Amino acid sequence: MRVFTLQDLSRYNGRDGNLAYVAYRGLVYDVSGSYFFRGGRHWVRHNAGSDLSDEIDQAPHDESLLQRFPVVGSLTMVE
Amino acid sequence: MAKVAREMVERTGINVDELVELLISNASAELTTFYYYTILRVNLIGLEGEGIKEIAETARIEDRNHFEALVPRIYELGGKIPGNMNAFHDISACPPASLPENATDVKAILKVLVEAERCAVRGYTHICNLTAGKDHRTYDLALAILNEEVEHESWFSEFLGEGPSGHFMRRGETSPFVSKFLR
Ligand code: HEM
Repeated sequence: MRVFTLQDLSRYNGRDGNLAYVAYRGLVYDVSGSYFFRGGRHWVRHNAGSDLSDEIDQAPHDESLLQRFPVVGSLTMVE
Repeated sequence: MAKVAREMVERTGINVDELVELLISNASAELTTFYYYTILRVNLIGLEGEGIKEIAETARIEDRNHFEALVPRIYELGGKIPGNMNAFHDISACPPASLPENATDVKAILKVLVEAERCAVRGYTHICNLTAGKDHRTYDLALAILNEEVEHESWFSEFLGEGPSGHFMRRGETSPFVSKFLR
């Protein structure tokens, strides 16, 4: 499984033809196929290409929705 | 724009541009759903379909009412809706629905309906959470819409066999919660 740094992840921001990846609790998900992440943005405030672990508390749903999407790697905090 | 009304919301710490964007994308979801319910209504035929037609019609009118109630608030807060329908459609907060391949498959139609309502319930819950105790007018409006969306979800969920909704069909009236914003 590919290991992503935050900088690697930031390239997958869903904009300008880039794929949309989001990290959640150490895993990286490919959400490119989701209507809800088109253009790399989710409900105005949440951006693809970043670690959204701390943002789920604001969501009107739990993390189980991420299971609809393939895991493409893991996230390391080591630069 | 209602200058002081916007200022009051800004002073609570709410990011008003973000809030306005949410209101616009939800207004778009309402209008696209209204369109979808219109094609559905004509396809709800036969013994099974006729049973759902009336309730789909109520949800259709109420979703249009939600669109109409949201637009003034968007402008009060200094926002505006796109200048053409294509652009408006493409920013819908929830995926614009489409008729199932087999337009006579009533269960498939109901699934599309319930998914749309569930997305709306989450969306207005979020707007209520953002505005509670801060932006009283947007909160009041989002809560009124939420009340109707929850009822829509429960109607369609009941038809899908997920259990009783605990509700009866409306008796002649529509939008018991949102109508005060339409006067
Ligand atoms: C302000 C915060 C958020 C709001 C208002 C929000 C709202 C929503 C809504 C309304 C849906 C549609 C659900 C449905 O169809 O019933 C959704 C789907 C989803 N959300 Fe969020 N969300 C938020 C934050 C997050 C965060 C932080 C993550 C990731 C950690 C996330 C991941 C997802 C995923 C994966 C889906 C499913 C997408 C799909 O099936 O295509 N959301 N969200």
